[in-house]
Amino acid sequence: MELSRYLDLYLAESQEHLRELGRSLLELEAGAGAEAVSRAFRAAHTIKGMSATMGYRAVAELAHALEDRLAEIRDGKLACEASVIDQLLASADLLENALASVVVAEREKPEALPDAPPPEAPAELVPEPLQPLPKAQAAPIQPAAIPPDTALVVQVTVSAQSALPAARALIARRKIEDVATVLGADPETPDASFRGERRLYLAVGADVAAVEAAARSAGEIENVVVAAPRVEGGTFTLPTPAAGRTPGVHAEAPRSRHVRVDLRRLDDLADGIGEMAVVGMRMDELAAAGNLEALKEHLGRASKLIESMRETALAMRMVPVGDVFDRFPRLVRDAARALGKQVDFRVEGRDIQVDRTVIDAMADPLVHLLRNAVDHGIEDPEARVVAGKPPRGRIVLRAFRERASVRILVEDDGGGIDASRVAAKARKLGLLGEDDLAPTSGDALLKLLTRPGFSTASVVTEVSGRGVGLDVVAAGVRALGGAFELKTERGKGSTFSLRLPISLAVAAVLRVEVGGEHYAVPMTHVREAVELQDLPRAQVRGQEVIRLRGEAIPLLRLSEVFQLPGPRRQETAAVIAEIGERRAALAVDHLVAREQIVVKSFDAAAGMLPFFSGVMLLADGRPALVLDPMTVF
Amino acid sequence: MGRTVLICDDAIFMRTMLKDILKQSGFEVVGEAQTGKEAVQLYAQLKPDLVTMDIVMPDMGGIDAVRAIIKEDANAKILMCSAMGQQALVIEAIQAGARDFVVKPFQPSRVLEAVQRVLG
Repeated sequence: MELSRYLDLYLAESQEHLRELGRSLLELEAGAGAEAVSRAFRAAHTIKGMSATMGYRAVAELAHALEDRLAEIRDGKLACEASVIDQLLASADLLENALASVVVAEREKPEALPDAPPPEAPAELVPEPLQPLPKAQAAPIQPAAIPPDTALVVQVTVSAQSALPAARALIARRKIEDVATVLGADPETPDASFRGERRLYLAVGADVAAVEAAARSAGEIENVVVAAPRVEGGTFTLPTPAAGRTPGVHAEAPRSRHVRVDLRRLDDLADGIGEMAVVGMRMDELAAAGNLEALKEHLGRASKLIESMRETALAMRMVPVGDVFDRFPRLVRDAARALGKQVDFRVEGRDIQVDRTVIDAMADPLVHLLRNAVDHGIEDPEARVVAGKPPRGRIVLRAFRERASVRILVEDDGGGIDASRVAAKARKLGLLGEDDLAPTSGDALLKLLTRPGFSTASVVTEVSGRGVGLDVVAAGVRALGGAFELKTERGKGSTFSLRLPISLAVAAVLRVEVGGEHYAVPMTHVREAVELQDLPRAQVRGQEVIRLRGEAIPLLRLSEVFQLPGPRRQETAAVIAEIGERRAALAVDHLVAREQIVVKSFDAAAGMLPFFSGVMLLADGRPALVLDPMTVF
Repeated sequence: MGRTVLICDDAIFMRTMLKDILKQSGFEVVGEAQTGKEAVQLYAQLKPDLVTMDIVMPDMGGIDAVRAIIKEDANAKILMCSAMGQQALVIEAIQAGARDFVVKPFQPSRVLEAVQRVLG
C-alpha cells in the first residue's frame, strides 16, 4: 500500500474540513442551529474516513469521537451548552494537532522502499494527548456502588488508541474472569459513550499479579491498577492512575503545497499551449521562407499568447484570504476569554483572492496584530463602560482590493495608542531626542513601535500601548514588498493596515535610472511620477522640498541615498512614493518604463546597502535591484 | 505445519489482504467463506485453529455465525473483523463468544497481535 503519494491531497482536504469544523462550531456557539451541527458532523465524518484510509488511526478515532458527540447534539441527546462547545473546540484542537504531527512525522520519514510493509507508524506517531474527548470528571465512587464483599478493585484503562474501547474493556473483563470472580463493574455495560476507564470489583481470593496479567493480556490496555478499596470520608478512593495527559501546544499547522484550481483555467492553459505550438510551427515555415513581415505578425501573436498563459498560470496560485482568515475567529475568541475581554469579531472580504505565498506569509503577522488588538487595544468591559462605550469591543479584519494591491485592515474600537507614553519610552531608549516632540501621526508612531529593540517584553508592561512583535510584522510586510500603516485615535481605537501585492510572482514596478544603473520601484508605493524641471523647490528646515499642487514634499536624491560616487548630477524626474501619511519625492536621473516584472528574492551580500528587497532581470539579462521605499525615508 | 485458518469475509479484497498477512506469518489458510452460512459449514468441516469473521455478510451475518459455531464448539477461536463505528456489534459478538477483534483498515501488526492473543 503506497499511501504516501496521497499525503498532500489528504492534508489539503483535511485542513479544509478542519476549518469548516471550527467555523461551524463557532457558529453553533453563536446560536446557529441544526444546520451548523450537521456541517460540523459531516466535516468530522469526512476527516475520519480519510484518516482511516491513510492509516492514521489515532486521527480517525479523534474525528470519530467528535462525530459521536455531534450526533448526540443533532439527535437532541446533548444540550448545546457553552461547556459542551468548549469540549468540542478542544477536541477539534486535538484533532488538528494530531493531524499536524502525523503529517510532519510522515514527511520526515525516509522514502519507503518499494517492498516495505505498509506504513504502520501513524497511530504511534501521534503524540500525546489522545483522549478523544476531555473525560467527564471521574465521580468519587459511592460506597453503595461497590458490591459488598469486594476485596479488590481493578481499574483498567483502555488505550486511547483503541478503536473500540468498550469492546476492549469487555475482553479485559472476560480475561479477568478466567482468574478471579468478578462481582460487579463500573460502568456495568460499557457502550459507545465509554471513554476508556472501567473498574471491576473482585471477590476474595484473587491473585493480584494474575489479575493484572490477565487484564493486560486483553491487548490495547494502557494501565491496570489493582488495589484494595479504602474508605476516606465516606468515599472510596483508588490510587491515581497515570496522571492525565496535558493537551499539547498548538502544533504549527503544516502548510499545504496544494491549491485548488478551476478546471477551466487548466483548459485555458492547455489551449494556449496548443495554440502556441501551432504558431511556433507556422513561424518555422515563415522563417524558412524568409517572409519577415508575416513572421513579425506571428511573433506578436506569440507574445500575446505567452502573456495570457502567464496570467492564467498566476491566477492558479490565487486563493481566497478566507483560507487563512477562517482560523482567526477562534483565536480572537480564545484570547478574549483568557484576558477577560468581551469582543465581537468580524471578518470581511474573505473571498478576496491573493497569491498563496502572500497570504501564507501574512498568517503569523496577522495573528500578532489580532492578539495585540485583543490584549492592548480593547479595554476591559468596565473601563469601556466608564468611557461611555458598549462593554463589548469590536475587532474587524477586513480585506479588499485597492489598485494593484490587496489591503488587509485590523480595526479595533479600543483605547487607541498613547503617543506620549510611546514617546517617553522612545526617549528612554534613545530613539527619540529629549527635545523631540511626541509623534502625532500614526505612521510616525508606527515607525517608533516597529524599531527593533522597542518591542521588547518589558515594553509591554510599561507601555499600555502596543509593541509585541510589531517589528516582526513590519519585517514580514517589507519582505513581500508591501507597506504597513497605522491610524490611531485616543479613546476611539486603532487600525493597522497591510498593503500587499496580490501576487508575488510578478510585480508592477516603475523602472528608473540612477547613475547609469536601472532600479525598480514597486508600484504599491508609487503615487505618481513627475518631471522635476517644472516644479518649484524650496528649503524647509534645511530639507529640500518640492511643491506639488500646494503640497511640500521632501526631495531625496537616490544617488545620494545609494552613496553613488561622482559629481552631483542633474535629476530630471522624481517618483512620489507614499507610505501611509509619509511621502517623499525620490529624485532619479530618468524615468524608464512602467512594467510587470518577475521579482526574484535574494540574499543581500554582506555590507550591501539595506535598501533593496529583490532583484529583477532586464530584457538584456542584466539584473536590476528592486528598491524598498520603506527603508529610504 | 502452521496453524490453520478459516477466513470469512464477503469482499475478495479483504480476504486477499488477510490471507497475505496471515500466510506471511506461517499460517495455513485452509478455507474461505463468503457468507455466514458457508462459515458455519466450513468450520464444521475443517475444524481450523482460528476463524476470522467479518460482521456484515450476506446470508447469515458474522454474529449469527459466531453463535452457530460456538454452539457446536465452545472452544472455537474466533477473531472479529470490524469497521470503526461497529462497537455495539463487536460487543454483541464478544458476548456471543468471539475472542477478540481487529478494526479495518487492517494494519498487519495489529492483526497478528490480535491473532496471538486469541491463540494464547
